[in-house]
Amino acid sequence: MGAADILSFIIFLPAIVAFILMISTTKVEDVRNIAFITTIIILVLVMKIYLNFEPKAEMQFVTNVPWISKYGINYNIGVDGFSLTILMLIAILIPTSFLLLWEGRTKGYWINMLLVQTGVTGTLLSLDIILFYFFWETMLLPIFLIIGIFGSGNKVFSTIKVTVYTMAGSLLMFVAIVYLGVSYYNEFGHWSFQFDDLTNLSLLTYTEKFWLFLAFVTAFAIKIPLFPFHTWITATYSDAPTGGVFLLSSIMAKLGVYAVVRFMIPIFPDVYIQFSNWFVFIGIFGLIYFGIAALMQDDIKKMFAYSSASHLSLIAAGIFSLNSYGINGALYLVIAHAIATGGLFLLVGLLHDETGFKTIKDLGGIGKKAPIFTFMFAIMLFSNVGLPSTNGFVSELLIIFGIYQFNPIMGYISGITVLIAASFMLWLFQRAILQERVGSALQMRDLKVKEIIGLVPWVILIFLMGIYPDPFIDKFEPTVTHFLDDILRIDEIIKSGAVK
Amino acid sequence: MIEQLVYLMPIVTVLIGALILMFQSMYDKYKIKDFIIVSTLFLVIALGFAIFHFGDLFTTRPFNDIFNNVIIFDTFANFFNIALIAGAIGIILIGEHYAQEQSYFKGEFYAILLFSLFGMMLLAHANELITAYIALEIASFSVYIMVGFNTEDSKRVEAIFKYLVLGSFIGAFFLLGTVLIYGLTGTTNISEIAHYVNSNYESDLSLLYIGIAMILFTFLFKIAAFPFQSWVLDVYRGAPILITAYMASVFKIAIFSFFLRAFLQDFISLSGFWETALISITVVTLAIGTWLAITQTIVKRMLAASSIVHTGYLLLGIIALGENIASAYSIMFYLIAYLLSALGAFGLVSHVIADTKVRVTYNDFKGLGQERPYLAALMTIFMFSLAGIPSTIGFIAKFYVFTEAINAGYAYLAIFAILATAVSIYYYFKLIAMMYFYPSHAETTESKYNDGRISTYMIGLVAILVIWGGIGSAIVFFIPIPSIDGILSVVELSVRSLFLK
Repeated sequence: MGAADILSFIIFLPAIVAFILMISTTKVEDVRNIAFITTIIILVLVMKIYLNFEPKAEMQFVTNVPWISKYGINYNIGVDGFSLTILMLIAILIPTSFLLLWEGRTKGYWINMLLVQTGVTGTLLSLDIILFYFFWETMLLPIFLIIGIFGSGNKVFSTIKVTVYTMAGSLLMFVAIVYLGVSYYNEFGHWSFQFDDLTNLSLLTYTEKFWLFLAFVTAFAIKIPLFPFHTWITATYSDAPTGGVFLLSSIMAKLGVYAVVRFMIPIFPDVYIQFSNWFVFIGIFGLIYFGIAALMQDDIKKMFAYSSASHLSLIAAGIFSLNSYGINGALYLVIAHAIATGGLFLLVGLLHDETGFKTIKDLGGIGKKAPIFTFMFAIMLFSNVGLPSTNGFVSELLIIFGIYQFNPIMGYISGITVLIAASFMLWLFQRAILQERVGSALQMRDLKVKEIIGLVPWVILIFLMGIYPDPFIDKFEPTVTHFLDDILRIDEIIKSGAVK
Repeated sequence: MIEQLVYLMPIVTVLIGALILMFQSMYDKYKIKDFIIVSTLFLVIALGFAIFHFGDLFTTRPFNDIFNNVIIFDTFANFFNIALIAGAIGIILIGEHYAQEQSYFKGEFYAILLFSLFGMMLLAHANELITAYIALEIASFSVYIMVGFNTEDSKRVEAIFKYLVLGSFIGAFFLLGTVLIYGLTGTTNISEIAHYVNSNYESDLSLLYIGIAMILFTFLFKIAAFPFQSWVLDVYRGAPILITAYMASVFKIAIFSFFLRAFLQDFISLSGFWETALISITVVTLAIGTWLAITQTIVKRMLAASSIVHTGYLLLGIIALGENIASAYSIMFYLIAYLLSALGAFGLVSHVIADTKVRVTYNDFKGLGQERPYLAALMTIFMFSLAGIPSTIGFIAKFYVFTEAINAGYAYLAIFAILATAVSIYYYFKLIAMMYFYPSHAETTESKYNDGRISTYMIGLVAILVIWGGIGSAIVFFIPIPSIDGILSVVELSVRSLFLK
């Protein structure tokens, strides 16, 4: 197995293990242990990739073999600064989240968790746009089953809603992908869906580009979710089981952001620059809107759903701010937010399982009963609101700088509204965790050793990335610079006066 | 002589098999199992003969002094023959359980099935309109009989009469169209009509246009496109489910085999004539099919209605043919993909019905995921494939059709078809939701079912093919197995053989 094959191995190992487990009659404990060991193996392999990765802008560990040669579709995977960071993130988050989900799950749950991992890593590493679509859709199917089978409340409705919603978005994107391929064929005389080749398209008219851009952005905006495509999140997040919410919020939503950076910006640079104003505005509007919506919620899961959407809107604003502060900050926040929200959702899931409540007014007095739980919860919360010395602080600061550089007024607004997030989070913490409960005390156990072990890497990352961010930013910084200088040629465009 | 005979062998073997089965069915001592064995045996031999020429590029007219140009043997027909025979084998083996459980199944059924297959294969070889009509009627009449086979079902009378009366009526249009074309061109031979069209392009061709329109009616009726779709639901509902599967997948392939040949060889230069009409027909077909599929509560009817939607996708390919000959490949690939997915889905429903005799509505599928997890997993694969989810063959097929349609300049139509696909996710996923998200309401235990039999193995095989067709060699690129590229190049070869002189 050469170095390049490691990536394929990383992608497909979980799926292969999942299929073997599916047809075998293993006990649920063994299934869980095997699944956990699989994710650990993947973590080790990803570590190897991470250490061997040279901080350059180009793709590394590339495997490129024909798949459907008549249409120039290749199995083309590789990793660069962007994807490497997120790959590392996923590889760490999934096994540790297993530790928090350890008890009381069924066989199907673990199998689906493994399948999701194949879907997300595949999406992340694809460099062929059809292959990307392939994994993008496939990763939804296990989530569909996880929510539908293991969810609570009005789960069937939520499941069908989220599935039809995201599928409709992806199918729009599918048309756009095919259209791009056909345009490439008409321009160059041979088929190709390679992402590198598609960036060479030059004959598309502005109207065509605009509609294609819109189709892509719809698909990704549904997944992220951006305003106004967010209406699926509350029902889904509140009915989905803990694992499902964790995957949706801390991993899949990030892939939406990643896809915007990876595919849309290089393929449609001029539309991206042209509409950056609008998207920064939508981002900041979403930040405020979801922040206020979160303040209103009584259900903790729904509240976190909105707060997560609020942060993702900030990330989107950063992505569209057209400078390295904003984009670096957005990528940094992708990681920070994945860790913090992932942790929060898992802890809330635990809280719900133990006490049976997930509404703020029913909770209280957790602090005394479960001090370690409260401590972990607080760290995640602080990272989420961006307290100094956590990674959330670094990233929010960078994004606000970026937006300020883009447009000072929007910079001020975003700086102030980040406070909203802080306020509702801390308010929640006070009411649900610290304050004494009205009526009898709740049954709540503290974290077990396994769960603490699971959370420790996250806590370390939160502080390490918050205090000493350089080594992390170094990995993706060259790619960002390459993006801004070589693909977008921002400086030239600004000099020429096309963008204010 | 011998060489020429080899070309004829597949179709002759099927005919001989049909006759032998007919004689065999006169004896009471043979059980359904024996008929299954004999018919499968003949079909496998026929498949062997057909595969003998697999991968060759040829076109020939054996014993031409007898047949006088009416039938043609080329890679194109051979491709369809393989698909038809394989489909029939699939139906027989998957239906093995169902047929043995239902008392109304008799040996004649297999004789008639092979007769209809003979008609369909002849249709694929037909190079002349009258021959095509005869072949079509051989196939149709056999199917009429099989539709009414279920003596226990009160719906069968409605089904058979609807289909028989409407089918015969629409057959008359085909003859009328043939007559009109003959009146203008003086021939019914496809390649000669093409010759006439090409050399008299400037003159008045209105008779030909009317003739083509008439023939198009038959085509649209048989594939159940708007405005001839109304028979589908009742006929599919009343027929034994094996025949429903047979009509939805195998028969459709046979219809396309002839009309694709006719379009590609003859009428391609006239495509501007039917373009507008076909576009509106496609749009309405997609819309009506989608609407019907959403409103069904019986799974069999839902599958029937969704087959109308798939017809719409295929019509999209037919429209694109006018601009882009590569669209023919996508149609043929789509037919194969639909054959596999529909075979699996209908077959699985038949297998489940055979055991419990009640599982017909969505509700009856509740809890199947717990009771029989393997079957539910297989059904999920087929639903994914029908809905066109990546990692199944249905996705690749949809990708081809949409790509070629957009390449031919029908982007809006493709977007409309995509919308229909988005809605289709609802009714396909509803079944998956029923199987997995609800507890079972039967208190029966798992051990009651005997799933280790030919039916289930065959369904499993079809499921593997569905997955393999969707993934191909991409993911197992280090293992040298034939990939989807292989199917595509075979399809391309078939179309090229049409234009061999």
